[in-house]
Amino acid sequence: MLNKYFMLRFYKGWQIFIQNPLGKTGVIILGVFMVMAIASFFVPLIDPMYDPMTGIDPDIKLSTGPSLTHWLGTDNVGRDILAQLLEGAKVAFVVGLSAAFFSIVIGTLVGMIAGYAGGLLDASLMRLADIIMVLPSLVILLILASLFGQFNIWIIVFIIAIMRWPAVSRVIRSQTLSLKHRPFIEASRVAGASHVRIIFRHIMPNVLPLAFLYMTFRVTAAILVEAALSFLGFGDPSQVSWGMMLQWVWKSGHMFQAPYWLIPPGLCISLLTLAFYMLGRAMDEVLDPRLRKEGQSG
Amino acid sequence: MAKPGYILLKLVEVGIIFFVILTALFFLFRLSPGDPISKMVDPMLTPEDMAHLIQQMGLDRPMWEQYLIYVKNFFTGHLGVSFHYGEPVETIIWDKLKWTILLFTTSTVLAAFVGVFLGKIAAWHKGSRLDNVMSISALVCYTLFIPWFALLLLWILGFQWGLFPLGGVLTPALWISNAPLITRILDVLHHLMLPLLTLFVINLGSYLLLMRSSMLSVLSEDYILTARAKGLSEKVIRNKHAARNAALPVITSVGLSLAFSINGGALTEQIFTWPGIGKELIFAVSNNDYPLAQACFLLIALVVLCANLIVDLLYAWLDPRITY
Repeated sequence: MLNKYFMLRFYKGWQIFIQNPLGKTGVIILGVFMVMAIASFFVPLIDPMYDPMTGIDPDIKLSTGPSLTHWLGTDNVGRDILAQLLEGAKVAFVVGLSAAFFSIVIGTLVGMIAGYAGGLLDASLMRLADIIMVLPSLVILLILASLFGQFNIWIIVFIIAIMRWPAVSRVIRSQTLSLKHRPFIEASRVAGASHVRIIFRHIMPNVLPLAFLYMTFRVTAAILVEAALSFLGFGDPSQVSWGMMLQWVWKSGHMFQAPYWLIPPGLCISLLTLAFYMLGRAMDEVLDPRLRKEGQSG
Repeated sequence: MAKPGYILLKLVEVGIIFFVILTALFFLFRLSPGDPISKMVDPMLTPEDMAHLIQQMGLDRPMWEQYLIYVKNFFTGHLGVSFHYGEPVETIIWDKLKWTILLFTTSTVLAAFVGVFLGKIAAWHKGSRLDNVMSISALVCYTLFIPWFALLLLWILGFQWGLFPLGGVLTPALWISNAPLITRILDVLHHLMLPLLTLFVINLGSYLLLMRSSMLSVLSEDYILTARAKGLSEKVIRNKHAARNAALPVITSVGLSLAFSINGGALTEQIFTWPGIGKELIFAVSNNDYPLAQACFLLIALVVLCANLIVDLLYAWLDPRITY
């Protein structure tokens, strides 16, 4: 019974979402990139020379333009650009989604605890959030990279998540504040539920939808920061990413000679972040009927 | 009008936050692999110079004493000697700061003005083709990957069409030959164009979107209806009644989005070899020039905090509804 209700609600939300031009475009672009990410698993199986990192075409010593064997051309050591691009899609999804997920987890926990506990704990957690919120994450990552050496991709993901939770925690906190004095929370407290149980069993289900709305915007930020870091040469050296491809074309001095190499990676980063951003705006309209009416009346 | 008590409170708050950052940086330098002496003192120096620097920074003392000396050195402006330049980092930073300020203020002010203006028009014609085109373009600008966009501009406008120089901030020949001041200013402006355009386009998107949504919420308020009922002209309602209030959140966002702009600014400086703080930070980090990296970072943190402080105060002053 409950499931049926949720399915119906989800279906209705999806209907509004997919009718929204932003949502529709976002889903289509995202779909294309997902196909690319899945294809990246199969391309190296065709021929080892299509491996994005180690696959070198024995006949090619320089960067060459698009051809039948290399649809987007090769880089300056003879690696296939299309294969790297597909691999980059996979990495971008992994980085974006996992960083966003971790920041949502941290933000939701901090927001719920701050809102529920109140007082000094609330004040100090929110001050901390304020400090982190105004610090430029790329600059922090650069400083840490200089002190601790090259990071692997998961450490980068984790640092991005740590830099990105404050905005989430603010929203979750205010939502928790409004829930805290609702009758059902008071009732469970009277019934003897512990604080932990109230937070996780009664408050969390009510704030989670909001948290996941914020996830799409976090994905955008995480992909951009990782790409910028790789572009500057501080990415995970064992992992091809779009930012790193741009770094290679720039550092090897091919940016004025090889548009087939310069244009695709940046275009992919911009399009993927745009798609996630559009998704977020469209979801905003699904969850906020006020926005929806404005959009449709116009 | 902001009360003096409020201003004092904000100042104390910013002071405490900066101290936390200063302290965190001190411990990060000590926690990272390798000893602090190799991080703060150039290994290429003569033994006497090394001994002098170690003594000045107290690197041979116990940790708590090191910390006190570190704080004292910061406030007296001694941040160490750069490995690469062999000069005190504070002089290097002062030298670079003006270029960053030039690039940053021009791009932010231009983008904010144009963004507020276009956002106002987009909101006023909500749902029209004009609004759709502007909103979508703003979204695209906002999510553009900055280094890529900068490289494209450099490739097309700089390399293919040869309209602008490919990097740097001035033409050395012109400055050595003692050209008249006006030529030199024009030369700097010529170099400024590409980085300025990059940052302008990126910032424009977010200001436009913000102004649009802020304007939309203002337009649905009762006092706009009152203004209409009074028979005021549409133009007066739009510019005098709605836009002025709608622009307030945009002003606050300049402070809040500074972190985003600094990331973008560093990348832009790096690509156009604009000799500012951002490029210097990336250079220092790439070459393990720790004193320089530390100083750049502290300066950026200080600027971010001060900008947010100014925005807070400005907001309290501009919006008489806010009382603290």
